[in-house]
Amino acid sequence: MSMTHSISTAKVGVADKAQRAGERRTGLLLLTPAFVLMNVVGFFPMVYSLYISLTDYNPTHGGIARFVGLKNYATALLDLQFWHAVGLTCFFVTLSVLSSLILAVLLSLLFNLRYPGFFLLRTIILIPMLITPIAVGIVWRVMMMPDLGVLNYILTVVGLQPQLWTSSAGSALLSIVLVDIWQWTPFMFLIVFAGISSLPKSPFEAAAIDGAGPIRVFFSITLPLLKPVIVIATLLRIVDAFRTYDTAFIMTRGGPDFATDLVSVYLQRVNFRFFDLGYGSALSWITLLIVSVIILIFTRLSGFTRIISEKEDR
Amino acid sequence: MSPNHVSVQRGSKIVFVYALALLATAFFAFPIFWMVTASLKSDHNITAYPPVWIFFTPSLQNYVKLVEELGIVKMFINSAVIVGLSTCLAMACGTLAAYALARFDIKNKQLIAFEVLSIRMLPPIVSVVPMFILARWLGVFDTYWLLTAAYALSGLPFVVWVMRVFIQDIPQSIEEAALIDGCSRLETFWRVTLPLLMPGLAATMVIVFMFAWNEFLLASMLTSNAAKTLPVIAANTLNAKSIAWGMASAAGVVMSLPVVVLVLLMQRYLVRGLTLGAVKG
Repeated sequence: MSMTHSISTAKVGVADKAQRAGERRTGLLLLTPAFVLMNVVGFFPMVYSLYISLTDYNPTHGGIARFVGLKNYATALLDLQFWHAVGLTCFFVTLSVLSSLILAVLLSLLFNLRYPGFFLLRTIILIPMLITPIAVGIVWRVMMMPDLGVLNYILTVVGLQPQLWTSSAGSALLSIVLVDIWQWTPFMFLIVFAGISSLPKSPFEAAAIDGAGPIRVFFSITLPLLKPVIVIATLLRIVDAFRTYDTAFIMTRGGPDFATDLVSVYLQRVNFRFFDLGYGSALSWITLLIVSVIILIFTRLSGFTRIISEKEDR
Repeated sequence: MSPNHVSVQRGSKIVFVYALALLATAFFAFPIFWMVTASLKSDHNITAYPPVWIFFTPSLQNYVKLVEELGIVKMFINSAVIVGLSTCLAMACGTLAAYALARFDIKNKQLIAFEVLSIRMLPPIVSVVPMFILARWLGVFDTYWLLTAAYALSGLPFVVWVMRVFIQDIPQSIEEAALIDGCSRLETFWRVTLPLLMPGLAATMVIVFMFAWNEFLLASMLTSNAAKTLPVIAANTLNAKSIAWGMASAAGVVMSLPVVVLVLLMQRYLVRGLTLGAVKG
């Protein structure tokens, strides 16, 4: 029950009605700054972008925007380079998010044993997610140098084959996935660990009495109880993984041979190297649509909306 | 089974668990160790093979070069001003909105909250083009104002959602007592609610700060010289014909350090902030 409600039931009559109207006005007033910020900096440029996407605007061609209707969208549908980028991005997001989720759950189980010193180790593990992505790209590029890098040195010492990392089309995308896993597993771990720490004790005690093994306990108790937390962490990660740009930009610029040409890298090229802003805007809108559909499917399948609205009703 | 056997088994489990935990930590810590040591090495030592681990003469040469050759102090100030301003702006707008959504009787609250959240979903590569065009048109391209506004917007959903949860956590009875004592709604907010919100505000602020401080894409497209931020200049160190690994690593350390320190200080509310209030840490 809201406070307004409890207060207004105490008073009765006309004064009550006037007060409620005043309340509402104060509430809207408080929302105004956020509302202005959202519309001026957020939605207005987006609407403008929709308009640009219907023109052939390119500032390097005299800068006059001619209305071309849906031509840009038609071109985009046949743009194989774009769909290649979309495919790569989906592969990248799936592999990276899934791996870091599994790693994060395993790490959480391990660190939930709470041996002395684990708090310190946990804090150290958090650090990668705080490092500026550009810095992450720089240091991994140093480490992944094929002939002089420390990673290949370590591989040789333990008796494995040195790798070409980002220098070969075959392994470049996987190298970027590895970097992404390194940087964002800590994020998933932090959230999943918080979830595991706050699980109720009684189901586990009951399972212990029934003599259930650890694997059985994990799949029939821990995992179902953790689901809301896992869904939220995964959703946030999916949203962010789709916009991955910084590490790919620093490490490969989309190469070699377009092997790491993620959507954001391709869009950057269309917009800011060729300055094909009309076409780029159309591509942006198609990207936005694809990402929205994927997020929508995920929220449906995972019951995210239910999780959030249960929290709201608390 | 003899008790001796059991204790051996337990001992080996403990050793195994510690080994795993240390291995995992090493995986996440090693690149950071490598970045910090590389920033203290000469370029010759960074590309030495086999690698030089810890036995080298550390020097601050790379940091000196950052200041003298790249003028990184200016970019540091740019970053600090832009990110500082935008964080304050997002905090102010967002906290007021969060208070309205948490405590006032407003129609379509849920809808408003989800509209704010949709900003979090928007990929910056989509909004950067119209911002670029409009900014050139308005003459704010490559100024503090543009990035400040952009970062304030991207911080807004965090502030609204996280602060809403923190405000809901404060018992309403405290506010009601102040209202009965004759305070107005805004006075109550200022004198009673806000002081209680301080830890939550600080934690949210750190997260908004972190995302803006680390942002690269908008910064690289919407600035050219005057308003360049740290990530842009760090990326430029690898743009040059001869790649300056030492300077790049040093730039990495310089930009990462403030965030690492700030966030580790505020670790307690980190989970809640990062999940927009959805998970309690």
